[in-house]
Amino acid sequence: MKVLTTDPAAQAASVLYKRCTIDLQSGETSFEDLPCRNLEDVLGGFGRSFQDLAQRRVETAYCDENPLIVNTGLLTGSSAMTGMRTYFSGYSPIKGSKKGLPSAMWSTGSGKFGAKFKWTGLDELIFENRSETPIYAVIRETEEGPQVELKPAEKLLGLSTHDKIMALQKEYADAHFAVIGQAGENWQNVYMGAVALSTENQLKSGEDKCRFAGRGGMGSLMGYKNIIALVAQSADKLKPLSSEVKKVNINVVKGGGSTRLQPISRGGGGGTWAAYDVLQAFHAVPLNNFRPQGNDLPEKLCRENVEQDYEIKSEACYRCGIACHNNVYEKNADGSRGEFLAKFDYEPLNLLGSNLGIHDAGQAARLIQLGDNYGMDSISLGVTISYLLSYNERHPEKPLLNGASFGDYEKIRDLVIRAGEGELPEIGRGSMRLSQATGETSYAYHVKGLELPAYQPETNPGYAWAIAGGHMSMATYGLLTREGKADIDSWVKGITQDKLHMVGFDMIGLCKFFDIANGIGTQMVVDCLKSEFNLEIATDDIRAAVRRAFLRGLALELRQGYSKEEFALPAEVYEQPNGHIQLPQIATPEFLDELQKRVWAVFEPELESLSL
Amino acid sequence: MKIKVKLVGLFRSELFKEECRDYPAGARVQDVIEDLVLPQKHLGIVLINGVHARVEDVLQEGDILSLLPILGGG
Repeated sequence: MKVLTTDPAAQAASVLYKRCTIDLQSGETSFEDLPCRNLEDVLGGFGRSFQDLAQRRVETAYCDENPLIVNTGLLTGSSAMTGMRTYFSGYSPIKGSKKGLPSAMWSTGSGKFGAKFKWTGLDELIFENRSETPIYAVIRETEEGPQVELKPAEKLLGLSTHDKIMALQKEYADAHFAVIGQAGENWQNVYMGAVALSTENQLKSGEDKCRFAGRGGMGSLMGYKNIIALVAQSADKLKPLSSEVKKVNINVVKGGGSTRLQPISRGGGGGTWAAYDVLQAFHAVPLNNFRPQGNDLPEKLCRENVEQDYEIKSEACYRCGIACHNNVYEKNADGSRGEFLAKFDYEPLNLLGSNLGIHDAGQAARLIQLGDNYGMDSISLGVTISYLLSYNERHPEKPLLNGASFGDYEKIRDLVIRAGEGELPEIGRGSMRLSQATGETSYAYHVKGLELPAYQPETNPGYAWAIAGGHMSMATYGLLTREGKADIDSWVKGITQDKLHMVGFDMIGLCKFFDIANGIGTQMVVDCLKSEFNLEIATDDIRAAVRRAFLRGLALELRQGYSKEEFALPAEVYEQPNGHIQLPQIATPEFLDELQKRVWAVFEPELESLSL
Repeated sequence: MKIKVKLVGLFRSELFKEECRDYPAGARVQDVIEDLVLPQKHLGIVLINGVHARVEDVLQEGDILSLLPILGGG
């Protein structure tokens, strides 16, 4: 970035970002220093990429006109804690309207690739068209600035995400990697391909501890373009920590926001896994395709039960003081730590565990590991399989595929493997398409074509307005459960004012755990931007930019053919209310109708004045 | 007065899952938290008889008080 102003809100064009565009068909590469159009461009991530996607009319994800945009946020690679994010944007293979048009989508992950990418001197990389042969791109810093080189990637084909990274590491020192797995290579039949991002821990330990940009099939889009991997090679360029940023970082580590994520041994709450205990108190842990039964089965995957048989080690991303990774290892007979199995986060653990009727931690860990190694979004994978199991339960006389049922580990494992290999388009193309094919759509747990995370939709009508994944682009998943809000006013306010600000993190380069409750329109972020770039930005300007970016996402959804009826929860929620969930039943047709009217009454006037 | 206290998640690790306890009339949720020396920074949800409540709320004879840690996504 070239920052030639101290006031980017008023003088966005005085901030320039470096973009490289590669035409994969011709091999031509061009570099530009582009002036920012507005503060969203300055902040980066989807705030910038969605403006570029809006300029294109794309009718199918797998076409030459659909770009893959790889970029970072303003604070990626900075000394601000959690500044590790990379963003992948494009029109999604998996998320789309019933009209058949793909939705604009972004996905993001940590790992060290984003920082290395930024340190090469590049802010954005756009891949146009597609390569005839498999390639990988090497982005490196040189004395003349960043350079990008395309190389043949045949040798990487067929390897898992982890094995690709370890193979590339042998060739490229001082580099980090973004790769697809076999799932992304089989993009024709797998629309839920993820991008795996290497971590320092992974490269040092040799254990498969990638981070993932999973949602929306950006790994499949990468596979369609025949891009197998990205290599970012640069020296580390962290600025010395200023006293201002140090203060912020201490606040991130010790402040209230991250407390629940820290290891229990450090006085923390134990990471996202702890959601199991909280939600189980309401019988709201998804079970057997989002149908909690009011029993104690989910407790088998609560931490206190898992740690009796497995070793759990709390670890962190590079330079992050929030050790939110709960890495699960086999426990040897002598009590020592055995083989690394998987990282237990709430979403994958539930959706590849309890929600499939799998209550054995070791089996759940193996399924998580398999999905990660093949490079599939664990949320889309788990929910599509749970749909299939639910279908089979309802049709024992004529089950689909291998006839797998809830709890049948071996058959579920077979489904994961064959989906990852591209042999099961029924699974690989997601729950919306599978349910349309069976004609039984009411219990397919997706909204707008993207599978739901592990929070019961009965507790979260806000899913309807999430623009890039149910819980990470609309933070209403705790409004009823955590805050006890069951009135319509609170929900309208939550959706239209407070909770949409979650997406700000997907612009600026920070992980949401930086300050998940407050978003990026805060003094902490202002202090970081002042210290790192000498920028003077008011919190109100940041919040306004985040709101415009969110609304642009909504506008793009509408432009891609979504009707307002598609801003809805799965029909089973209304048709067969689940009396086991011990929370007020707010997801009624009447409540949702009223919510629709009042939310659109707020958003529509703003959407009309927003130019795409 | 008798209050049934239910603890969830990390709160129960060194205490109990569920216990009937005696408190003086007029006791508030906060008094129970202090009595049990629970780490308040982790307190996310308070339920009295299954309904969301606040730490300053006064308890009544026979109430079921549930104390849950913070819920957050990821």
